[in-house]
Amino acid sequence: MSAEEYQYIENPMSVSRREFLSISGALIALTALPAAVVRRMAVKRNDYIRARTAGLYKDDTNAKVRVSHANQGVSRLYQDFLGNPLSEVSEELLHTRYIDRSRAMA
Amino acid sequence: MSTHASILKHPLRVRMFHYFLVLSFIPLAATGVALFLKPFTEAAMNMLMRVHVIAGMVLTLDAAAFFVLALDRVVLFTKRAFTFGLNDVKWFAVLGGYPQKFLLRKKVPVPPMGKYNSGQKLFGACILVGGILLIGTGLSLWLFPHVIPHALAKAFGDIHLIAGLFLTLFLLVHIFLGIYMFDDFKAMFLHGRIPYEEAAEVAPLWVQGEIVALTDRS
Repeated sequence: MSAEEYQYIENPMSVSRREFLSISGALIALTALPAAVVRRMAVKRNDYIRARTAGLYKDDTNAKVRVSHANQGVSRLYQDFLGNPLSEVSEELLHTRYIDRSRAMA
Repeated sequence: MSTHASILKHPLRVRMFHYFLVLSFIPLAATGVALFLKPFTEAAMNMLMRVHVIAGMVLTLDAAAFFVLALDRVVLFTKRAFTFGLNDVKWFAVLGGYPQKFLLRKKVPVPPMGKYNSGQKLFGACILVGGILLIGTGLSLWLFPHVIPHALAKAFGDIHLIAGLFLTLFLLVHIFLGIYMFDDFKAMFLHGRIPYEEAAEVAPLWVQGEIVALTDRS
């Protein structure tokens, strides 16, 4: 729009520097503070997940048997009863299949 | 003074902000009400949710861009919206003379107003607070619902619903009065300017205190 189409404008100095700083500061604080509070709450909520993860890692480090194929009990179970991994018996006893329960849960 | 003199009431960046606000808030309000009432099939509700999210992103980007690029206008608007005085009490006592005008066809004296009348100021304050709440809660619930504590997510949902319904009701009044004040409607949607005489009648305090002639500044 060209300046000829209007002859008057709002005085850009109708807000003093002090008002500008205080209002813009208040607006920024009002939007930033809740964001900081929510972030803190979210981080705090994850504390127990971190604690559990650390506990699991600690258990793993302290465990004598750390992988399933080195577990003598599992090896013996396969040797005496299941045969080999993915055998017919192990498929039937150890594997599950997907059942869509979303309708039942809704 | 020339009868053709006019004031630039809504500069281009304000009008741009308002265009995107209209484009985003009306779909948001419509889909928000539908999501609240759930009248359609599951597939249709999912589609409405997608529209709601996209319109929400447009609104958020629009608000963020305006806040950064036109902070002076935001400050000015905030100052006006939150400045209340005795005139506003008197304005609310007669409700701006609108019920008398519409229902009784009677004109009652209304106290002189600034750029915004008291009803518009209240609307502005609600838009500012409600808008920040809507954007904050909506973004949180969409972007990271899994990290928000359950009680807080429930509170966010309630705040989002109440603020949304409240602003949607306000929007209906805003659209009605916006079209009723047709010169202002044209100014906001087309060219940004309103006749000086009309502004002097509707917003005398604004014209007396805040309006300067272009030649005065050169």
